[in-house]
Amino acid sequence: MESELSEPTYITLDDNLWGEILEATNGAAGPCFQCGVCTATCPWGIVREEDFTVRTLLRRAQIGSLEKVESLWLCTACAQCEASCPRGVPIAEVIRGLRYLLWKRRHVLPDLPTTLWSLYWNNNPWGQPPSQRTQWMGDLEVPLFDADRHEILLYIGCTPSFDRRAQNIARSLVKVLKASGVSFGILGEGEPCCGESALDLGHRPYFEELANKAVAVFYQNQVKKIVTISPHCYDVMQNEYPDDAEFEVHHYTQYLASLLQNNLLSFQNPLNHKVTYQDPCFLGRRNNEYDAPREVINSVPGISLLEMDRSGPETLCCGGGGGRMWMETPIGERFSDVRVREAASTSAEILVTSCPFCITCFEDSIKAESLNGLKVLDVAELAALALEELT
Amino acid sequence: MVASLFDPSEENKAIWVLLESAGVELTDVSFELLAKGRELADEVDWPLAGVLIGDRLEHLNSQVLSHQADEVLLLEHPLLEAFTVDAYTQALYAAIMERIPSVILFGATPNSRDIAGRLAVRLRTGLNADCIDLRMDKDRGVLISDVTGFGGGVVALLEMPDHRPQLATVRPGVFHSLEASAPRSDKVRRAKVELDQSVIRTRIIEQVKGEGVSIGQAPVLVCGGRGISGNFEMLTELAELLGGDVGATRPPVDEGYIERERQVGQTGVICHPEIAINCGISGAFHFVVGIQDAEIIISINSDPNAPIFEFSDYCVVGDVEQILPALIQSLKEERVVTHA
Amino acid sequence: MPDLHMAVCMKVVPKPEEIRVDPETRTLLREGARSEINPPDMNALEMALSIKDEAGGRISLISMGPPFVEEYLRVGLAMGADDAYLLTDRAFAGADTLATTYTLAQCLHKIGDVEVVLLGEESSDGATGQVPPGLAEWMDYPLITLLRSLEIDKEQNVLRGRRNVDGGYEILEVPLPAVISVATAANEPRFMDFERKGWAFEDTQVTMWDAQDLSAESQFIGIPGSPTIVTGLEQAASQERKNIFLDGGASEIADQLVKILRSN
Repeated sequence: MESELSEPTYITLDDNLWGEILEATNGAAGPCFQCGVCTATCPWGIVREEDFTVRTLLRRAQIGSLEKVESLWLCTACAQCEASCPRGVPIAEVIRGLRYLLWKRRHVLPDLPTTLWSLYWNNNPWGQPPSQRTQWMGDLEVPLFDADRHEILLYIGCTPSFDRRAQNIARSLVKVLKASGVSFGILGEGEPCCGESALDLGHRPYFEELANKAVAVFYQNQVKKIVTISPHCYDVMQNEYPDDAEFEVHHYTQYLASLLQNNLLSFQNPLNHKVTYQDPCFLGRRNNEYDAPREVINSVPGISLLEMDRSGPETLCCGGGGGRMWMETPIGERFSDVRVREAASTSAEILVTSCPFCITCFEDSIKAESLNGLKVLDVAELAALALEELT
Repeated sequence: MVASLFDPSEENKAIWVLLESAGVELTDVSFELLAKGRELADEVDWPLAGVLIGDRLEHLNSQVLSHQADEVLLLEHPLLEAFTVDAYTQALYAAIMERIPSVILFGATPNSRDIAGRLAVRLRTGLNADCIDLRMDKDRGVLISDVTGFGGGVVALLEMPDHRPQLATVRPGVFHSLEASAPRSDKVRRAKVELDQSVIRTRIIEQVKGEGVSIGQAPVLVCGGRGISGNFEMLTELAELLGGDVGATRPPVDEGYIERERQVGQTGVICHPEIAINCGISGAFHFVVGIQDAEIIISINSDPNAPIFEFSDYCVVGDVEQILPALIQSLKEERVVTHA
Repeated sequence: MPDLHMAVCMKVVPKPEEIRVDPETRTLLREGARSEINPPDMNALEMALSIKDEAGGRISLISMGPPFVEEYLRVGLAMGADDAYLLTDRAFAGADTLATTYTLAQCLHKIGDVEVVLLGEESSDGATGQVPPGLAEWMDYPLITLLRSLEIDKEQNVLRGRRNVDGGYEILEVPLPAVISVATAANEPRFMDFERKGWAFEDTQVTMWDAQDLSAESQFIGIPGSPTIVTGLEQAASQERKNIFLDGGASEIADQLVKILRSN
């Protein structure tokens, strides 16, 4: 077991590697003064005796060493550490940068190259045929986006396009948007992958290529306003796409909240349930959006929202971020197992969230933990159930 | 136009099937070849020869004849004792040039595919690969082959009217074999085999029988999920009866019932079996991506609303603990019947 | 000792699910279908690249196809191959495996010093697996198919490959030069090296050779060089899942399942 105290006393420094790391991480590790709050707050500490030593990784980045950095594949990019870092180090960014150096050295975990190849050949990370990108619609009719007729582009994203469970989120959201009367379209088979999984896996150059392609498609379609289903797509479009991009991006919970505020949407069908809400890291901590999803939930008549101890900025990650959706996590180390127990302990009947990755992880964990009384729903699914005369 | 070494006017109207053996018995695909070869031979009223290649193979003659070949053609030589593509191709080539048969069928097995591929070029003829059906055009004496392409999405009919011999490899398991019955003849002929060690360029360093897990290539995959409560013995028995292998979803792997190498799906192995049998699996998408290319998917689950059924051709709502033993029993009984 | 020169043959294939048969004309509708590098050929390239990683050497990519294939060869260059040859000529069209293997062999003769030729075990469109043995025959090279791993011994001038057979495995050795085919999914192809990408996609040239460049005899290429003719084409039965629910007690269901298993 490697503790932080058993650091080697001597280390051979390599100026070239130091320069390379400095460039890959944008020098972001510089301000770190090794207080260790990052390691202490990292959720891996909940599931592992041996901590994921974030502090050590930062130190290695500072001095220019790639020894023993394999643990950086553990990072779920949940940003818990960043929230508590007194020096404001963008730690997840440093880790992404270090991951790219492992890509360059081809020291990556198995199956990760296959994920990138799937983005390349299939335009999605799931290895699914690109021609089936609209399969999620079932018998719903959704028009292709037309800038003259549509106010918003509903960006479905890969997981809700292909994952059978997540497809229901997309269908539910379409029903809610239709009920509000807002004009919207989709890009159908031509919808580009946002590239988030490439970035999260640390391959920034490929992400940039994908982002540029996506932006070109949005421009070509004269898109001015994008509403995404996944907070992961939202995060990269909002924070990583070129600054001069001429479209605004909203997560759908934000968009629904604004529809509710403007009385363009209302829920008539009471749902008399106790629910709790999981703040997805990529919406909450990474984008500071805690209110919009709660506004939507609280607009549903009959709902009572119970908060978990860890919520808002303290939310516990489901484990699916940081590219962990494409890696295996051993039993006993899955954050989502812990999280569904926490949800159940609030006596909520429904665990609501607003991220397809959270949904996937929680659905698995509810079975693993035999929490048969707990259901997992996306905010969009809850909203669709709350529409009047839902058939 | 490219010309084959001999043309249709020179051919001997005969059908050959190249047989393979494992120990004292012909392989399953060899029996299938004999049955299909018999059917084709009867369509055109030509003789069917079962071709045995190796060393000291006479003990197989009776199996070939009782499966209705008109004759056995033996290619024997000490240098043919172990398979090498060089020696086998050379020996067959010589026999073909001596006897110029019209049609030769091979099993689409690794070794026979290699021989057939080399022979086709050496003879400057065509080769219809991995056929799923065959018939003879009686008037023209032309073999017509059904092959699939594009992952099974397209079926094409192929023929080579102007080239001889007409070569085809046949996908194992597609044709039914015949029961052994009274031989039509007792004719055994030997082809002249002249081989020199120098033609053999392959050296066998090591051969190890049966070990290692590689579920990605299994033709039949029997997968178990949470719903089988760790009872993989049952699944293993079924897989063995079907010539397949066993895979699993994540929960049984997590619980230590089965090794991680057998986990199927997005973070496990992506498999391409002909048949996938899912036992007690609900159908989470990250599992489904590992079997969705299967030609046939059969699923057994006690929950009629399990998502796995949406991905299945044949759906059984029921208890795996009851269905599988019954299935194993039926397969064993059937086995007794066919091998009687 | 000169660097080991390997060649990897690559085929660009349409994505299988995007191919349709025109029910009227009975021809393939490839229009608009997305293409990809035949996945087993990616395994062949990865095997060559891992040899290059360890022992050095040079990798040439060879493909036969229409001009658009050039972009796909550049993908292989970005992965780590050193040069690429595209055999493109209208006269090559309609080739079956006899004509294809002849054309590839002419290219190998013209390149001259290739010691190891690697191919995927089969293509996802035709799935014949005939190209590796056919090419070995035209070249009069030894052949090992379905390899899962490969080692090259330049001192002894041999290669040794391991293949899985009948649930076990065997290790075979042949002298160089040789042709090998690589088993599907034998390895995980590396992603493109983005440091090479600019060079691969913009700076370097893909060598384009036509029939004349290859000194190919017209009787051996394209349609004249292909003994096999396609006389019919049909869309296979729908790939949609049947969703048939079986009824009855355990033994009745078992009997139905046996029938289903035996008819497939």
